[in-house]
Parts: sequence; structure tokens; C-alpha cells
Amino acid sequence: MIKRYRFWHLLVCLLGVILLIPDGFCVDDSDFEKLSRESAQIKTLKADFIQKKFMKILAKPLVSEGCFYFVTPDSLRWEYFKPLKSVVIAYRNTTRRYMYSEGKMVEDKTGGAQAMKIVLNEVAGWMSGKFDRNPSFKATIQKKENTLVTLTPVEEKMKGMIERIEITLAPKAGIVKSVKIFEGADNFTQITFNNVKINETIDAAVFREVK
Amino acid sequence: MKRLLPLLPVFFLFSCGALPVIQSSAVPLREQSFTCPFPFLKKPYRLVQTIETRMAGKTRNVIIGVTLIDPVSRSISCAVLTAEGMVLFEAASTPEELRVTRALPPFDSESFAENMLEDIRLIFLEPQAKLQERGYLSSGERVCRYLKANGDRIDVIQTKALKVEIKRYTSSGTLKRHIMFDKAEEDIYQLIELRASETMDYSLLMTLMEAQPVNTP
Repeated sequence: MIKRYRFWHLLVCLLGVILLIPDGFCVDDSDFEKLSRESAQIKTLKADFIQKKFMKILAKPLVSEGCFYFVTPDSLRWEYFKPLKSVVIAYRNTTRRYMYSEGKMVEDKTGGAQAMKIVLNEVAGWMSGKFDRNPSFKATIQKKENTLVTLTPVEEKMKGMIERIEITLAPKAGIVKSVKIFEGADNFTQITFNNVKINETIDAAVFREVK
Repeated sequence: MKRLLPLLPVFFLFSCGALPVIQSSAVPLREQSFTCPFPFLKKPYRLVQTIETRMAGKTRNVIIGVTLIDPVSRSISCAVLTAEGMVLFEAASTPEELRVTRALPPFDSESFAENMLEDIRLIFLEPQAKLQERGYLSSGERVCRYLKANGDRIDVIQTKALKVEIKRYTSSGTLKRHIMFDKAEEDIYQLIELRASETMDYSLLMTLMEAQPVNTP
């Protein structure tokens, strides 16, 4: 159970960091340090996303929609509106997950405090845009039609859950277009970001209240 | 010992005490050939459902279930995903084998896959069992009772509200599963509740998101 929670919390945090890549940032093989420096300019971020889950068992992808909020140094909200309502919030050293049941959001108590603590330790590393410094993933950058950042898990246990993560940046503009998370040969998740807003005021209640 | 022999039927009768009595003789002649309730799939389908897990009356988790079922070959493929899209469990089964391709905690126990596939069969596939009895329960509901090779019994019940329920009993008459279809006829899979009697009782509330007929080659 802890392993599962660690994984998806990591994923949520990772996606948050991915969005911190600023507009106008263009990467090459030596740009990880620059990425980290540029990320420091971002104080707040908000974005909508559309997630498509592809699996062999599905004739068409399972589509989810939601939004993401971030305020430095460690406040996160990753929320799904449909098809299932759920929210993951990290705020002041506490990470909580809520899901919709019987007309209201209820807290998911199955993860345990230990898993949350592990997550927070990971968050600290991700928050500064240090793609190449987290020992859990090996990071590489390739320039094709778009710029592609690939994160590959290092640990065997993690490889059993995730094969790799591909982050596609638009050429020159450097805006994150999409993220693909590969769990297996026929199984991947594609997240496309829209309406990215940087350094706009975000009410702290976003990280405290679950409606 | 011989003196005890006449008591054997009584022993068996009481050991099956939880199994409701079907009043076959109470069936009026004109109704003795009533059609058994059939909530099962007749052709291959792909079903996507939200599944709410409850224990002790409290919601424990909400996940997404994808199930691909062929009632002719009795083959099943299924997957369980989190709301975030992560695949927690994936398996495929035929009458010959069960193949688990992914199982993350807490879905990685040995018995989980077998129990899950068994529950899917119970809900969606016609029992591979002999129709043992049909008639009326004391509550007046129509029931068809199937006897499986392992001694388990499956009651398929039509309630007075014309909804269908399925109950699976062990060979000793213990109720293990109770499935309730909230809707009737073509919307029958819209909302399904499964109550499981195990060491830790639990229930699953399954709400249909998508149902797609599947063309077989």
C-alpha cells in the first residue's frame, strides 16, 4: 500500500515540477542546471489538464479532466473533476487525498502517515526542478521535433510500476505540451496541459479546503 | 454408530440451515415453467465502472474497473485503476487459466485475483452449474437455485420490485456473496452492489460509466 501511494504522490509532485519549466526555456544536454535556476523564478502556477489513459483492454482512451495549483515552496493541489472526482493536496508538511463519495469529498485514510512523510521528503527534491538529481530517476534530454525530457526509474522496484516518463516541450517556446507515463508496453497515460498561468495570486484556501 | 445413522440427514439439514428453503410445491402449475431471472451477459461487452469500496459502512476507496467479458468463451480481461490513472491490477482469465500481468499492493495477494475473477463471473456470467431447484422463497420472491460442482449454490432471485439479486452460498449453506442489481432490464448494470462475507466484510458499489458491445472475430 505504501509503495502504491509513494508512486502516485511522486507522480503528482513530478508533474508539478514539470509545469515549472518556464516559458522561453530551451534545453539541451547541459541544461539541467539552468532548468533548476529558471524554475526558481516561478512562485505560483495554475493549469488545467486533460488526461488520457491508453490500455490494451480499452477500445478508446479513458479521458479525465482536472486542474493543478502550486505555490512555492511546497503547496500543491492536483484535482480531477471527471470521471472520478479526487484531490491530492500537499500543504504545510501534510499530504492528503480526498475522493468523492455519497455527495461529498471524503478523505482517503488507506495510505498512512508514513507514506505521506516519504512523499514530503521527495517533494523537497522535485520542487527545485532538479530532474537530474533525484536518485530514483535517470534524466536525459533529446531534441527532436520537440524537446523531449525522459525520466527512467533506476530502482528495480520502481521499474515494475513505471517504465519511463516522457515530457514533451514545444520547440523554442519551451512550453510543456504533454507528459507521457509508460507503465507497460500497451499501457500509458498522456497528460496535456492547457491554460498555464504563472505567478498569479492563488488563494491559500485552495490548499486547505476541499469542496 | 448405526443408531446415529438416522440422524445424519438431520445433521446435514441443520448444517445447511442458512440456505433458504425454496417452496417448489407452492408453485402453481401454470407457473412451474417460469423463466429464471437472467441478469447475465448474452454477448461480449466491455464495461467501465467506478467501484466504491466500503468497510464497516465507511468508504475506503474509489477506483475504476474495466472489464472485458465474453459469455460464450467465458474469457475475462479486467483492470483496476486509480482515479489518477495508475493501473493497480490487470489480469485475464479463461476457463483453463488465470494470468495476472500486474498486481500492486493491496491487490497483490494470492487470493485476490481468484476472488475478483470469481466475483466477475458471478455477476456477469450464467452459472456453470446444474439448475437444482426453482420456486418461491418464503418472502414470495421467485428463485432459481443452481448447484455447482464444488457444492456451492447460487440463487438467482427476482424480487417483488422486479429487480434481480444473486446469492452465493457455500456447500455448508453460508452466504458468501450477495449481489443486488438496482435497475431492471436493459439498465441492469447501471448500479450494482456486491456484499461480501469474509473475515472482514466489505461491499462494492459499482456504477456504470460505459458499456460497449464488443465484436468477436
